[in-house]
Amino acid sequence: MTTTPVATGTAERQQPTELRTGKPARARRTRGAARAPWMLLAPFLALFVLTFILPIIVAIGSSFTSVRRSGLFGEEGVTSEFAWFDNYALALADGNFIASIGRMLLFGVVQVPIMIVLATVLALMLESASARWPGFFRAAYFLPYGVPGVIATILWSFLYVPGLSPLFDVAALVGLEPDFLGAGSVLWSIANIVVWSYTGYNMLIIVAQLKSIPVELYEAARVDGASTWRVVRSIQLPLIRPALVLTTVFSIIGTLQLFAEAQVLMKVAPAIDSQYTPNLSAYTTAFAYNDYNVAAAQAVLIAVVAFALSFIFLKLTNRKSA
Amino acid sequence: MTPLTRRQLLSAGFSAAAVGLLAGCATPGTTSVNSAPAIAAAASGEKITLTYWSWLKDLQNVADIWNAKNPNVQVEAVWIPGGNEGGYQKLYSALASGGGPDLAQVEMRTIPEFMLVNGLVDLSRYGADEHAHLYDETLWKQVSYVDGVYGIPQDSGPMAMFYQPDVLGTESPATWDDWAVVAAEMRAKDVYLDTFSLADASSFAAYATQAGASWFRAEKDGWVINMTDDATLQVARFFDKAIDDDLVQTGYGNYSPAWFAAASSGQIASCVTASWGDALIEGVAGGEGKWMAAPMPTWGNGGYGSSYQGGSTAAVLANSKHPKEALDFAVWMTTSKEGIDAMIENSGIGWSPARDFIGTQRQQPSEFFSGQNYNEEVFVPATQQQNSEWSWWPVTQQSFNILSDGFRKKASGGTLVDAVAAAEKQIISVFTNKGLSIRKETA
Repeated sequence: MTTTPVATGTAERQQPTELRTGKPARARRTRGAARAPWMLLAPFLALFVLTFILPIIVAIGSSFTSVRRSGLFGEEGVTSEFAWFDNYALALADGNFIASIGRMLLFGVVQVPIMIVLATVLALMLESASARWPGFFRAAYFLPYGVPGVIATILWSFLYVPGLSPLFDVAALVGLEPDFLGAGSVLWSIANIVVWSYTGYNMLIIVAQLKSIPVELYEAARVDGASTWRVVRSIQLPLIRPALVLTTVFSIIGTLQLFAEAQVLMKVAPAIDSQYTPNLSAYTTAFAYNDYNVAAAQAVLIAVVAFALSFIFLKLTNRKSA
Repeated sequence: MTPLTRRQLLSAGFSAAAVGLLAGCATPGTTSVNSAPAIAAAASGEKITLTYWSWLKDLQNVADIWNAKNPNVQVEAVWIPGGNEGGYQKLYSALASGGGPDLAQVEMRTIPEFMLVNGLVDLSRYGADEHAHLYDETLWKQVSYVDGVYGIPQDSGPMAMFYQPDVLGTESPATWDDWAVVAAEMRAKDVYLDTFSLADASSFAAYATQAGASWFRAEKDGWVINMTDDATLQVARFFDKAIDDDLVQTGYGNYSPAWFAAASSGQIASCVTASWGDALIEGVAGGEGKWMAAPMPTWGNGGYGSSYQGGSTAAVLANSKHPKEALDFAVWMTTSKEGIDAMIENSGIGWSPARDFIGTQRQQPSEFFSGQNYNEEVFVPATQQQNSEWSWWPVTQQSFNILSDGFRKKASGGTLVDAVAAAEKQIISVFTNKGLSIRKETA
């Protein structure tokens, strides 16, 4: 933890204040002081509970409710009832929803390692002694992250569409006929957009971690005659492990939450259906089919899978370090 | 076992709270406004403002004409994204939270879906039936369900065929069999006659409608489904063969960026589409004077001369405080000459649903379409040759998605015929999961 420069600093600074308030010096002041943090936290807590905790609870509640309509449109009565796990059963019985989770797992297994390796390589190159204009390149690599996902996808979609994209003309020169939007390839076209968008962001996290490596270690290595490659393997990579774990967990969660890219690309790629990713599936179920209850069950399932995957990954990496 | 940590206790507390909340959290859209007493018209002299959410552009200009004449009933137009692109999502959430506009643009096919969430006012309670004679009969049928009227037709999409005479020649195919022959000739020149979308089943549904299919029927005791009738299967078999023989382009749909590029370079020869396709085709680069319209090919044995695709209504939403005035505005907008002309000029609406007026602009020949007076020559007759038996149903969007999910399997060896049969079974289970009664047609 001490090696991550982000956020921990403030936590350490707060600690002494807390300790001081804990001492029973003057009773009245203590009570006021005990109340103070809560008062200061209140605006945050209120919003946090209202916009975060409460919706989660409502979603979980909704996922256990089912609505039955009778007649042609429900004109003969509508009843809501506690449905136990019926909605979960419906969500899990939906082949398209399960397929979307499977698709994202496949996506993650391929895309996350590529992106993390790329980010690490870029970060190491920028932090190497022989780097030219590291500030400029750092900003340049990070720039795509500043482009909103929707805009990025629209930009890329113009490169993917035959008849519009110059890529096809270039490919034709070497006798290739690529199909970026076909049933088998569109997933990797999305992966390409995601890699383009987020590599720079992950690189920046790794760069921050690299910068916190004490200079003495490099000096000692140089005195011992270590090559650049040796420095990378024995000093830099082990010391940026926390950053790598962090970026990987973020990426796993991000993969399962993929939405905008698929939603926007749907317009030009007939292969993308309305349940292509888990989140798209929940969105369609809720807002196109008006089935809020099954959608809530889907959302809960997505959260559970994301949690399980992150947990498994953290367990695995922790065991290795122990 | 380790003792409970504070965090575990906390989460246990939250779960308990969640269980407590379960009872109080009702799913939206479960009470009907149409069983409540009718809302009286506003008192004379009282000034009210109606809001109309729609994806028609510059609709405020149309409303302003009305506003100038009706100082007490002002209409404010608010733009929303088109239908399932986000507009319905917005409307559904507004309804779910007990709000929303007085009027909203709702497609014909989506009316039953809004009825399912009790989102629409039955306008027959406010005198809509008096205006029925002003509208196209087929369209009026598509907004009427169980003795009620749930939207005022605003535009529609009678279908025809737009084609490029330079590529196709001046004779357009009269039947779908001719169409297949021409398509094969075109393929020899590396041109596709048309596209067939595996991702959007609405064209397929329109072709089946033309052939005489009627997938759903509302009976007193529930819905009757029949998606595997002869007409539908004939259409499915026809396009199965067309795709197998590589006669249609399935890689992209109509009006996608790739389609515009292909249409512009003459690699797409024609397009069977609704009347509103004219405005889109006018967007084909360098297309001026290169396009014409012809009647839709027919299925030969029986069926209808044309079909319809798209079409929307101005529907009064459940939380409106002034349904009577909203109805009056909708009727003015869709039947008065000034309303129709303004809608065409400002918003570029589809075909006008009014029985006797297609719009001044549409009575003129079009320069883009080779000087042809295509609206009067092709589309006016098309509106009189439509299948009026067709009824939309409460899970149209989901059904179309189910159908296109099946169609996509065509790319990996499936058939449209199988997809239709499988979709029918799946749609039946969607109905039963909602508690709605449905049975398969037995004939």
